[in-house]
Amino acid sequence: MAEDGVLRATDVRVEYRTPGGTVTAVGGVSVTVPPSGVTVLAGPSGSGKSTMLRVLSLVERPTSGSVVLHGRETAGLSSRRRRRLRRTEIALVFQNPSDNLISHLSVGENLRAAAQAAGQPDRTEELLTRFGLPDVVRWRTPALSGGQQQRLAFACALARGASVVLADEPTSQLDARSADLVLETVSDLAGRGVPVVVASHDPRLVGLGTTVLSLRDGTVIA
Amino acid sequence: MQIPWRAAPRAALSSPLTLLVSAATTLLLSFVVAAAVMHSSASGSAAVVHQEGRLCEQSAHPVLDGEGFTAASAQRAVDVARAESGGRAVLPALYTAIVRPDYAGRATWARFGHREGATDHLTVLEGGGRDGLWVPESIARTAGVRLGDRGENGELPPVTAIYADLNDPVDPWWCSERTTVVRNPLVGDGEVASVIWLPSAESFQQLPERLAGSASLTLRFPADRVPQTVDEAEALLTGGEALLDRITAQVRDGRLTRGSYLAGPISAARQTAANVRSAILPLTLISLLVGLAGLGTVTVQWAQRRHTELRMLWCRGSGPLALGGRAVLELGLPLVLGGVLGLGAARALLPVYSPSSALEEGVTATAALAVLGVIAGSTLVVVLVATAHTHREFQSAPEAARSRARRVLAAVPWELATAALAWLAWRRLLASGLGTDQKLASLPRIDAAALAFPLLVVLTTALVAARLVRIALRLSHRADLWRAPAAQLALRRLAATAGPATGVLLVGALAIGTIAVGTSVANAQGAALTEKSGTFVGASSTVQVSVDMARGGVEMPAELRGTTTLVGVSSTALVVDPETFTDGAWLGGHDPARLTALLRGLTRTGDAAPAIRLGRTPEQGVRPPGLPTLDPRERLDSFPKLGTRGYVVARGSVPAVDQVGSWHLWSSRPLAELTAPLRAAGLHYTNVQDRTAVLDGLPFLMIEWTFGFVTAVGAVLAVVAATALLLAIEARRRQNAVSGALSARMGMRWRTLLGSHLVELGALALVAVAVGGTASAISTGFAVPELDPAPWLNPSPVLPDPLPLLLTTLGVAALVVAVAAWTALRTARAARVGELIRG
Repeated sequence: MAEDGVLRATDVRVEYRTPGGTVTAVGGVSVTVPPSGVTVLAGPSGSGKSTMLRVLSLVERPTSGSVVLHGRETAGLSSRRRRRLRRTEIALVFQNPSDNLISHLSVGENLRAAAQAAGQPDRTEELLTRFGLPDVVRWRTPALSGGQQQRLAFACALARGASVVLADEPTSQLDARSADLVLETVSDLAGRGVPVVVASHDPRLVGLGTTVLSLRDGTVIA
Repeated sequence: MQIPWRAAPRAALSSPLTLLVSAATTLLLSFVVAAAVMHSSASGSAAVVHQEGRLCEQSAHPVLDGEGFTAASAQRAVDVARAESGGRAVLPALYTAIVRPDYAGRATWARFGHREGATDHLTVLEGGGRDGLWVPESIARTAGVRLGDRGENGELPPVTAIYADLNDPVDPWWCSERTTVVRNPLVGDGEVASVIWLPSAESFQQLPERLAGSASLTLRFPADRVPQTVDEAEALLTGGEALLDRITAQVRDGRLTRGSYLAGPISAARQTAANVRSAILPLTLISLLVGLAGLGTVTVQWAQRRHTELRMLWCRGSGPLALGGRAVLELGLPLVLGGVLGLGAARALLPVYSPSSALEEGVTATAALAVLGVIAGSTLVVVLVATAHTHREFQSAPEAARSRARRVLAAVPWELATAALAWLAWRRLLASGLGTDQKLASLPRIDAAALAFPLLVVLTTALVAARLVRIALRLSHRADLWRAPAAQLALRRLAATAGPATGVLLVGALAIGTIAVGTSVANAQGAALTEKSGTFVGASSTVQVSVDMARGGVEMPAELRGTTTLVGVSSTALVVDPETFTDGAWLGGHDPARLTALLRGLTRTGDAAPAIRLGRTPEQGVRPPGLPTLDPRERLDSFPKLGTRGYVVARGSVPAVDQVGSWHLWSSRPLAELTAPLRAAGLHYTNVQDRTAVLDGLPFLMIEWTFGFVTAVGAVLAVVAATALLLAIEARRRQNAVSGALSARMGMRWRTLLGSHLVELGALALVAVAVGGTASAISTGFAVPELDPAPWLNPSPVLPDPLPLLLTTLGVAALVVAVAAWTALRTARAARVGELIRG
């Protein structure tokens, strides 16, 4: 793994206390996200890939270990500083397409809202054209198909000018045709030099990976 | 402002139910708070009006009475008053001392007087010319005065009218002159005489010096409008005092005495408003807290509904406080709208829940400020709850710590705390209560902590019931009721929604208990006032009559038969007519037939007169002044007029009726209906007593008004409980639809499904009614006697019949349950199973 990645996690452990005792979701995983390409966290359900993705996106703090973003250690940062980093540096795409959008806003408003949150200029027309959604700017997002919604989610991620895009099982809720659209989008992003981290067990997505980490029971197996 | 925040008010439209609930919550909160402010003021206004009703209307404005004037100096004083009054109406009256004018040799006691408009308020028997003397019938009859006669050898103007003597109760126009113009035949000659009215102030001046040498005057300043609020009354009093200052500074002759009869009522009204305010404050605060907690729940539900959006915004770098602001922007408008509607509702419904609609100036503004405070508080709660929720949800401790905190909170025995408070309140109630050993006119001390006793008992019982139900539901999986599928289904549904179910139960029990406490205490005090005044007077109205009626020399007018009885009153005994006593007397709790039978048994056969002794009056024979020796053979706990001490003897057993202290007619009719036939028959009477006016009911009314508001708050809580029940059904619409529709597909009859909903909701309603009703009945049973503002008067307040309230509550509860069950069934019947499963 390259040492000069955008995002580097070292020996990350995530544990949860439950009534049945402590459960280790991630047990000492290290990963470096290179400045370009698709990094895939692969593995079956319960392997810890989504948890790892949340740690990498600074949404969740690890129990131990280090997460370095652009050379800056984030483990000891306050919630406020972590939020600031999330605002400008990180874009997270959720598994359920509709979870990535504000349903009472139009497609254009969603894109503008995403850009506004990160203090980026409005590139709505350009992004919609680029993501093959040129005529839906005024549509409400529930009117879009699942695949279109997920592409719009990636468009939002791009609108925010994030230095890394992380996606959690982006195809799992989609039919094959819609999933193809998402695969195209991920390839396109990677092709444009945007580092993408994907947690998935979809073989086609895993196939896109320039770096692939296979997880099982919270540890790297390959 | 970023787009998601800017678009928040528009987003609110996506959930009309949330809008409705948040608006309704602040509506109820604002209603309670605004109503509390207005109710306190309205109670003061009602107290003023009540006191004014007991006052003579002409004496509302400060008055002047003067003595030792000459006719001329009295007129000068009147002129000063007119000059200083600045347009305010002045109603002066001039009177001579009681003199003996000579009408052709037959002298009589009389007083000459002049009061503007007097002849318009007299009943003419003969004549009616307004340019001469108006002579009362009693004087005309005694002195043989006829129309056209000129007394004092022609020095007096001619008699142009003979009018009917003024008697109690007098027309309100005469009320301030009552002691002067109403003749009392029972006092000595020359002490109180009827008035011969002169036609003008000038004619009064022209009276011979020997008649008008020592004149008196009264100056009244009738108010255009009787004050309706404490402020109005205070303004009238202050202005009136200043006017009197100016008049008295200029009148040097005679002796002027000031009278400010409104000062006492104003002070009592201020005290009443303060007492009511302090008494309803704790309940208002409790309601406010309950309402804000409800608003917190609404906010949590909002956060749950907007979870994905909030999570996305948080992932994009928004902080919890910003997300709290997002909640306010979405829920704020309904909060403001609800607040405004609550204020409007409080004002519009004022006549319903308050004893008066008249508010002091600025009270509506104060209520509006309070509502503004409620809206601000509600907004703050929404921000804080949404902030805390998002913080906890997205960036704080993991799940285990959260559930531990929740478990600890749930395990805290809150009911022990409220029980301890109830115990303290009970001690305060016993120690101070409302009873006062001062005169009845003084207001009882209000101990807000003591007043809270019945409500704290209701709260504690409701909390205990909620905890027990929760435990029972947790253990309910052991119950196997499948032989009654509706019951088993109902039980499982209740267990699955134990939180909302116990919440609805808690609020429902509180609502029913609060309503029951409010109505019980208010009605008990209202009834106690009626009973105490009835027992105190002995009848609805009484008048003292001549002993001739007891001797049989004068017949009671026929119109009074069946409603009136003649009673002799001695210092320690009553002499009653067994045949008519129950027709006229206030019997309180006595059975008329039994009492009549008891009185008929008091037939004298020997020297001693058989009597009934009351309460703990000694059993041995006694001889009260003016009565034969009494032989107590029966005993009663209490008796009209005498209360719990004294004797009752039959009239037939008392041969020397003129030895009895005094004789009175007791009537079950109002005073006017008792006195009219007496006047028509020309029978003199005096010492009138009216049950409705004999006691100043303000202390009772104050408690009635306080607990009337408690009832209103209970009604608000009942609306909250009913709405929460319907919302709980609506919130689990999808779940109901799926389970109901699937159950029906699997062979369950719709009737059984409906039955299960009825059992589920009906059980909640029944437990709420049982808990609220029982707790209120027990607590008010202890509290009501302690809240008696006049404990030295019999009888003690007793709880009203609970049946009507119970039946009404059950009826309303049944209606709410039926609507909720029908809603749930309709959802299931209208559901398309395929779509539901697909999601």
